[in-house]
Amino acid sequence: MLSIFNLSDPGSDYIIIIGCGRLGSTLANQLSDEGGNVMVIDHSRDSMRKLSPSFGGLTLIGDGTNLEILTEAQIKNAHYVIVVTDDDNTNIMISQLAKELFHVPHVIARLYDPERECVYKELDIETISPSMLSAYEIKSLMRKPRKVSNQ
Amino acid sequence: MKSNVLIIGGFNKAQSLAKSLLIKGYIVTVINSDLDSCHSLAEISGLNVIHGDGTKPYVLLEANAEHTDIAIALTQRDEDNLVICQLCKKRFHIQRTVAIINDARKTEFFYQMGVDSVVCATSAITNIIEQQAFMDKIGTMVPIGEGRINVAEVPILSNSPAVGKKLWEMNLPGEVIIGCILRGEKSLVPRGDTRVLAGDTLVLISSDNTEMLAIKELTGR
Repeated sequence: MLSIFNLSDPGSDYIIIIGCGRLGSTLANQLSDEGGNVMVIDHSRDSMRKLSPSFGGLTLIGDGTNLEILTEAQIKNAHYVIVVTDDDNTNIMISQLAKELFHVPHVIARLYDPERECVYKELDIETISPSMLSAYEIKSLMRKPRKVSNQ
Repeated sequence: MKSNVLIIGGFNKAQSLAKSLLIKGYIVTVINSDLDSCHSLAEISGLNVIHGDGTKPYVLLEANAEHTDIAIALTQRDEDNLVICQLCKKRFHIQRTVAIINDARKTEFFYQMGVDSVVCATSAITNIIEQQAFMDKIGTMVPIGEGRINVAEVPILSNSPAVGKKLWEMNLPGEVIIGCILRGEKSLVPRGDTRVLAGDTLVLISSDNTEMLAIKELTGR
């Protein structure tokens, strides 16, 4: 799932990030710094300001659920589509569009509410749930000091 | 046994649909995320109203989605309607799901994703407006099969070029048939050698986009 962070040959993969919020922009900046070929799509011009001055990728302003915008972004050629808008249902629909209509090999979506996961399951869409990740991380932090004190 | 129908989102559409289904004897539940809308909907007698976000599984559960036969998603947003239908289908195994969409280009995609019936609100309305604009030529026009097929009533006036012609003599487009001729009190199913008379009303069945050609051929306008 995290193979995207160790791209063996950066520059050869075309990555589309939809949603330029905190997560989208952070990811875009990092991937671009690592030499990735990044396209960021967001409906707000303002949110593009979160991209760092050194960001070397492309930006496209428009609605990520719009088929014309996705086509304009050459989604067919994308190796990765990362869907991180602030709305779960939007993320679900865009992921399904990317997978079903454009046959993108890797689709990763952020999903706040893990209860809807059954909708994703059968499709080959990978999901990240911040609350699940946080819970996991918090539990691992809780375990740490206990181990130390036990020793 | 009465069928359970679940309507998610929409206010005016939900209200009139719920009323009409209740009259027909269905058990109807509506889900709406706006509290004021819920209060208004609750005034309809016999209607179950649930306040909440219909794209959340626990809200659907509360609305008895497990025992629902038909789910109809009427929210403003295409993505919400898609998720609602998929949850209904996959999680609650509802037999029939219906969604309205705004973006007609996604109709095929919605069917691919397992929605049983997709109604494009925008194109349905533009079709009706288009028909109204041609009202003088056509009595009534009913689109069926998402507007791919139209059934139209075409009045034949005395100055129409079709008057006195047999059906086979007319140069109608291939995808058009005249299903019925209404002549005075009688209605007859025409054959190729049936003559069209002034004052007839033809019932035209046509595939999309060919009806205007056919009407031009019949009425001369």
